Amino acid sequence: MSAPAAPRPADDSDVVMSCRVRLARNVAGMPFVGRSTHPQRRETLEAIRGACGTPGATGALVAAAGATGALAWVDMPSMPARDRQLLWERHLVSRTFADGDSPRAVALTQDERFSMMVNEEDHLRVQVLRPGNALRSAFDAAMAVDAALAARLDFAFHPRLGYLTACPTNVGCGIRIGVMVHLRALRLTNELEKVKRAAKELHLAHRGFHGEGTDATGDWFQISNQRTLGVTEHELLEVLAGRVVPAIVNWEREARRALVERQRLLVEDRVHRGVALLQAARLLTLDEAMKQLSTVRLGVSTGLVGGPSLDVINRLTIEVQSAHLRAADPSIEGDDDERAARARIVRAAFGAA
Amino acid sequence: MAAPFRSCDHCAKPAVVHNTVIVNGKVIEHHLCEEHAAAVTGEAVGPVPINALLGQLAQVGAARARGPTCPTCGLTFHDFKSTGLLGCARCYDTFAATLVPVLELAHGGATQHVGRVPPEADAALKHRNEQLERLSRELGTAVAAEQYEEAARLRDMIHALRPQAPGAPGTGGTDTAPPRGSAP
Repeated sequence: MSAPAAPRPADDSDVVMSCRVRLARNVAGMPFVGRSTHPQRRETLEAIRGACGTPGATGALVAAAGATGALAWVDMPSMPARDRQLLWERHLVSRTFADGDSPRAVALTQDERFSMMVNEEDHLRVQVLRPGNALRSAFDAAMAVDAALAARLDFAFHPRLGYLTACPTNVGCGIRIGVMVHLRALRLTNELEKVKRAAKELHLAHRGFHGEGTDATGDWFQISNQRTLGVTEHELLEVLAGRVVPAIVNWEREARRALVERQRLLVEDRVHRGVALLQAARLLTLDEAMKQLSTVRLGVSTGLVGGPSLDVINRLTIEVQSAHLRAADPSIEGDDDERAARARIVRAAFGAA
Repeated sequence: MAAPFRSCDHCAKPAVVHNTVIVNGKVIEHHLCEEHAAAVTGEAVGPVPINALLGQLAQVGAARARGPTCPTCGLTFHDFKSTGLLGCARCYDTFAATLVPVLELAHGGATQHVGRVPPEADAALKHRNEQLERLSRELGTAVAAEQYEEAARLRDMIHALRPQAPGAPGTGGTDTAPPRGSAP
C-alpha cells in the first residue's frame, strides 16, 4: 500500500520554515559599537533613528522591505526581560542584543518581515524575513532596503574591503543569506553528514535553531553563507537559492519518501506516538515538545497523519518557548506552571481534551 | 610591520596551524596548512574560529611584542585578539598586516570586495574610471604622435588617479593587492 501523495507546497514550506537576508552596516565616522561609550552609542542610535524614523523614511523602508504597517521602535533597555526574550525567541534579535543594557533599539514591522537592530555588534543589523523558501524575494527586498538606507545614512565603506564591520568575518558585502530548514528525515536516516559536507564545500555555515552559539541539536538547522569578501551578493544568492537550498529540499524529501516506503510501520509508530503524547501530556518540557513536534511535522508533511497543519506546527515551535508562554499567561511563576501551560497550548492545537 | 604570514612547512599554502615544541632544549616550530595539519593530526581543521586563529597569529607574532594601537579608537592588538572585533573603520588599516591572513582564511583567500558599493562611492568610482579611460586614450594618441612630454604628463595623471592603498576610503579601488596599512 502506498502512502498518499505528500503535499509539496510551492514555497517548499514542507522543508524550509523561513528564510532571511541580513545586512551589517556601520555609520561612517563613529567607532564601532564595542569601542563606543554609552553617549556615543546613544548618538549613533539617534542618528539612525533620526534618519529612518521620519514618516517619509519609514514609508520608503517598509515598502522596500515588502512589509506592511508601521515601523515600531522598541527601546531595549527599558523593556522587561521577558519581552526581550520574546523577541529573541522569534528570531528578531540576537541573544547578546536582548541581554545587553547599553543604548540599543530594535525597529520592526508588525508582520516581522522587516526589522533592524541598532547597536548590536554593528551599528545597524537589517533583517528581511519571509516564511517558506522565498530567498529571491527576501534578497530583492534587502537590496532595496539597503538602497533606501544608503540614501539617508553614510556607511563605513572601504574601497578595497567593502562595507566595514566590527568582525572581519562579515566585511565586504556584510550580508548573510540563510534558510531555516527542518531535516527530520535526514536525521533519522543518518544522512545529515551530506548536508554538512555540502555546506562546508560551499563555504556555508550550519547552525542550530537559535543560530550562532546554539548547537545544532534538534532537527532544525540554519544554513547561511559564511564568506562575505571576494564574492558578490548575487553570487551568494545563487549558491543558496540556486544550488544549496533546492538540493537540501530534495534530499530531505527523498529521505522522507524512502522512510515512508521502506520503514512505514516504524515511522507511523513514531508519528502516532508523537501525536498521542502531545494530545495527552499535562506537563511538557521545551525539549520534549520540540522533539515530538518535529516528529509529528514529519508525519503531517508525508501525509501519514492528519492533525494540525504545517503552519500550526511551525507556530507552535515558537509559542512553546518560555517567554511566549509567560507573555500569554502572566500568572505563570515556576517551571511547573510553564510546563503545564506548554502542554495546554499544544493540546488545544491538537484538538484534544 | 610585515604580515605574520607563514607558508606551510611542506607546501606553499598558508599555514593555519602553528606549533612550537622544545626538544632537548631546542625550539622547533611547525607551520602547517589545512591539508598537512589534517594529515598529521588525522582531523579536519575546517573553518577555524576567529579567536583561535587570532591566538595562533599572536603566537607567531609574539616576538613582535604587542603590535600596533589604533590611533583613532585606541584599540590594541591585544584587544583585537581577545574579542576578535575591530574598534572602528581605521582599525582595518591599523591592523592590516594581521588582517590579511585572517581575511584570507575567513573568506576563501579573498581580500578584495567585489560586491555592492554605496551610491557616492559608486558615483566617484564611475567618474574616476571615465577619467582613466579618457586619459589612457589621450596617452595612446600622445605616444603615437611622439609627444613624449605630454605622454609623461598623462602617465603621471593616470598614476595619481589609480587607487591608493587602504586608508583613503572613498577613492574607489579595483586593484587586487592585499591591504597594507601603515603601522604607527
